[in-house]
Amino acid sequence: MEKSYIEKIQIHKTNKVAGLHPATKFLVVIMYTICTFVLSSVSLTKIGLPLLAIPWFLVVLLLCAASGALNKCLKALKAVVFIALIIFVVQTFLVPGGEVLVRFGFLKICEKGLRTAISLSFMILDIAGIFVWLFQTTENKEISRALEESGMNYKAAYVFTSTLQMINILSDNSKTIMNAQRARGVETEGNMLIRAKAFFPTLVPLVLGAVMGSEERVLTLEARGFSMQGEKTHLFNLEKSGAEGAFKVVSILITVLVVVGRIALWIL
Amino acid sequence: MEKKKYSIKEDFSMLALLIIPVGVAVNFVGGQLASLLKLPMYLDTIGTIFASMLCGPWVGAVTGALTNIVTGIANPVNFAFIPVNVLAGLVTGFLARGKMFSVWWKWILSMLIMAVVSIISSAPIVVLVYGGVTGSGTSLITAAAMAAGANIWAAFFGTEGIFTVLDRIISFLICWAVIKVIPARTLVKFGCGSNYIKDNK
Repeated sequence: MEKSYIEKIQIHKTNKVAGLHPATKFLVVIMYTICTFVLSSVSLTKIGLPLLAIPWFLVVLLLCAASGALNKCLKALKAVVFIALIIFVVQTFLVPGGEVLVRFGFLKICEKGLRTAISLSFMILDIAGIFVWLFQTTENKEISRALEESGMNYKAAYVFTSTLQMINILSDNSKTIMNAQRARGVETEGNMLIRAKAFFPTLVPLVLGAVMGSEERVLTLEARGFSMQGEKTHLFNLEKSGAEGAFKVVSILITVLVVVGRIALWIL
Repeated sequence: MEKKKYSIKEDFSMLALLIIPVGVAVNFVGGQLASLLKLPMYLDTIGTIFASMLCGPWVGAVTGALTNIVTGIANPVNFAFIPVNVLAGLVTGFLARGKMFSVWWKWILSMLIMAVVSIISSAPIVVLVYGGVTGSGTSLITAAAMAAGANIWAAFFGTEGIFTVLDRIISFLICWAVIKVIPARTLVKFGCGSNYIKDNK
């Protein structure tokens, strides 16, 4: 038998980690972020490097692998790693202070530079990494439904979903417009002034078209009873994978352990 | 004409709600286009400025925040810059309400205010969160200046400052060009739209 439309738009995930309810995933993200801050304040070795933030990143990779989306996540992580790397290099060589550790010609690595480099770049890598995991394993539809479920206004949830759709529509449109303007003789290559001038004939029609289009969409939405008061029904419903409870307990437990460990280190 | 009253609830009309996604998408496409044309600017606040010029500061602020949240999905570094974009929306919106976009010398003043606000608000984030370097084109210049011995704050203000002012001028001119060609029958539906309609006497 052919599937009905309502069945077709549901998302079924077999993987227990990837199929977690978005609210649970968000809790994991928050707990992980707290742990990152606590861990990077612990300094090891005799020059006080916050080395604990480095193995902590493995948790992100572990979560990605457990969700069965390691490749997808690694692709998204590339940009983050690139930025972290630049920050690491710049900080290592540029921040002076403390003892000089290594010296290559005119470049030298100082104690303080290495310390800020490690804590900054790995803090960014850790926190950005966990967000990558959240967004790579969760579909946009699920996020907006979860936002609505958690008590957000349905209009706000609509704005969120519509934004994600609008980006695709407008970036397609912009390519069309740019090609059309090029065909009419607008130059898009040359010195900076010429390239800056090409910006106008592309963006002005794009924005104008989008504004006029949204005027029509207001009419369409109103005609379908969007701003009507009353109970609303949903075509798309979120599923739970069954591992929510375990994940909540484990993430809170780890956070408590990390915080207690940090306090114990302070006192001792 | 009697003075118009504004309320936050009325700011978020149906049309304003639909302008928010458009604004976010324009921000996104603007940034994409700027890198496609290899311009040394971000140009990713055009949508924020546009939304706040038409619908007031609060809609602009939401547009700004949502932009960074959505682009943060692909590149979480952007989450830290939410306050910059929110502030850009708020400032532009209040300038629009104060009818600061009516005469040419007022434009220049508003553009400068907008540029100064965005430099001042982004400087602490870039310097304190990312140590002065975010991996964009201009941050190479900043890094070079820092290597030459300049103070991290001075290096940032020197390089970002010039490009931010240019960025704001281009963004604003685009918004102005669009608003000028929107017909008056559409403009009146927006919160601040009536400020841009010329009286035909």
